[in-house]
Amino acid sequence: MNSWMQQHPATVLGLVLWAIGLLWLMPGRKSGASRTPRTGVLIAVAGLLSFFAGCGKSNSDLASEVMFWVFATGALGGGVLMISSRNPVYGALWFAIATLCTCGLFMLQSAPFLAAATIIVYAGAVIVTFLFVIMLAQQSGAAGYDQRSQQVWPASLGAFVFLGSMAMVLQSDPPRYERVEIVAAETPAEQPGTMVALDPTKPVIAPQPPAIPNFLSRADSKAPVGSMKGLGRSLFGDYLFAVELAGTLLLVASIGAIAIAPRREEGAL
Amino acid sequence: MPQLLITLITIAAVVGAIPGVCNYLILLERKLSAWMQDRVGPNRVGPMGLFQPLADGLKLLLKEEVIPSHVDRILFLIAPGISVFTALLAFAVVPFGPVGDTAAPSFIRFIIAPNIDIGLVFIFAVGSLAVYGIVLGGWASNNKYSALGALRASAQVVSYEIPLGMSVLGIALLSGTLNLEQIMQQQVAGGIMAWNIWFQPLAALMFFTASLAEANRLPFDLAECEQELVGGWHTEYSALKWALFFLGEYTHMITISFLTSILFLGGWHFPGIAEADSAYAGAWLVKLLVLVSKAFFFICVIIMLRWTIPRFRFDQLMELAWRVMIPLSLANLLMVMFCAHFGVSRWWLLPGSLMLFAAWGMISASLREAERRAKPGYVRRKATAAHGHAGHGHGAGHASGHSAAH
Repeated sequence: MNSWMQQHPATVLGLVLWAIGLLWLMPGRKSGASRTPRTGVLIAVAGLLSFFAGCGKSNSDLASEVMFWVFATGALGGGVLMISSRNPVYGALWFAIATLCTCGLFMLQSAPFLAAATIIVYAGAVIVTFLFVIMLAQQSGAAGYDQRSQQVWPASLGAFVFLGSMAMVLQSDPPRYERVEIVAAETPAEQPGTMVALDPTKPVIAPQPPAIPNFLSRADSKAPVGSMKGLGRSLFGDYLFAVELAGTLLLVASIGAIAIAPRREEGAL
Repeated sequence: MPQLLITLITIAAVVGAIPGVCNYLILLERKLSAWMQDRVGPNRVGPMGLFQPLADGLKLLLKEEVIPSHVDRILFLIAPGISVFTALLAFAVVPFGPVGDTAAPSFIRFIIAPNIDIGLVFIFAVGSLAVYGIVLGGWASNNKYSALGALRASAQVVSYEIPLGMSVLGIALLSGTLNLEQIMQQQVAGGIMAWNIWFQPLAALMFFTASLAEANRLPFDLAECEQELVGGWHTEYSALKWALFFLGEYTHMITISFLTSILFLGGWHFPGIAEADSAYAGAWLVKLLVLVSKAFFFICVIIMLRWTIPRFRFDQLMELAWRVMIPLSLANLLMVMFCAHFGVSRWWLLPGSLMLFAAWGMISASLREAERRAKPGYVRRKATAAHGHAGHGHGAGHASGHSAAH
């Protein structure tokens, strides 16, 4: 850990600045008169820039580079505004923006189904339900306790530790994870980690991933990835047990939700 | 021709055509309504009132924009934009003509984004965002009626997304793809007997109903509901911002009609004049016209439904989604899975769907009867009055309440 800190000072500095900026931006007990948001934004942006400087250069083409920056900025900015806005409705909307930008990032990684499913589930259903509840609950304006952040310090510290450990794993030398790149079948991979635009006419095959010692899943390297067919075959073939387990869990959860919901005789709507 | 140029031309054609088409759909709606109510309809501007849409559009453009002082200004202004944006974006993967026809001029492609593997899922994803326009508009208006409309809209759209998605899963299983062009191509190649309506009639009905609910058209316009909520979520809107909401609604209507024709009625295929191998001069135009006429037919059905079926009550609306359409679409999907897995001929799905429909009607009628019987003060009705509403399980008998099954 010490060597990682010494090798990547920009990353560590960026994370610290980012945490301070967020602490500054989160709405506190007083109604914002003591702190100006501009300072917090400046600190957070400086932290982000420093963090990105510590991440090193990517080697993808200009178009996907620009798209990546647009979506990444949107997702991060949406996330910050979500936790720092005083109005819960605006918070929910910024959450939606952050989700949509994340879906854009999924698209860039050639996972269109994941993107569409996330939009349907999160932006289309979950956040609409949030809005529904917020509008029902707060017809006479937001209550005081809803206008300020709770547990600012533990939250910032937790996020800082989480991001730091992720950066440490990703930047560790030698790498602790296997980089699995997706390449078109005919063209050999020139540079590791480049993203190749998926040509619908060519089958796309993932290179052999390392064997996963998990009896519940067995990855099949021959299946085409990036298409609905490949995803379906992988989910319901290679990872069938995991999918069934998750499905059972969801079923149990929904039965539980119905069981604890109040009945009409008990005074529900 | 470079693909980028073709894409730009197609986008320009679609975005340019849709507002004009929507304008004339409003005239069509007014004329059809007038016809159904034995009136004349708009007939002052131009021959047979044909220039009425232009006059209306000009009026909406030039009208004073009223922004009440009590609204949340940013969201109030953004909401109509979201409505139109999502409605237009959903149209990007809808093929509106014979895609891939080599005889057609090369500068137009009949689809904005071809070869989208997840076509249908994309439409549902974007369609599920459309509710933001209504919810935000209603909330930002800072008005009781608008907020009530927005609340109703959010509950309704979240509920109806489930049957909407599940009803087309059967088609996805049958054709093995979610790509709209391929679904259309398979039906075209098989002739009229390969139209999906033969195998999925129940799914077609449910898809059409659920998409009406998604588009907030009558009988599902609870969010608007003039008799109760003044104008619902758009009470505070005026002039062009109000018009944008309706541009979004009519675009949604066009998308629904195209989707229903493509998914269930064979796309641009029509026996005799537009077959897979018809190659006479101008065949592409005929194919285009066939698809557009099918869509036009559905638009007329949607408009005429408005004056045929009265608006639902809100609990009936929810009941239709959760107690009728979701179980039915699940059963339909199970049936398709059975056929696909055991290699049974898909023609068994036709009687299967009809039997499912009848069985569910009987089950819900008897459930209703059992509920009524469980209530105190139950008086047995005469046998002749008992089967007025065997169909959907919502009807005259409903007013006596429902408590036991909840």
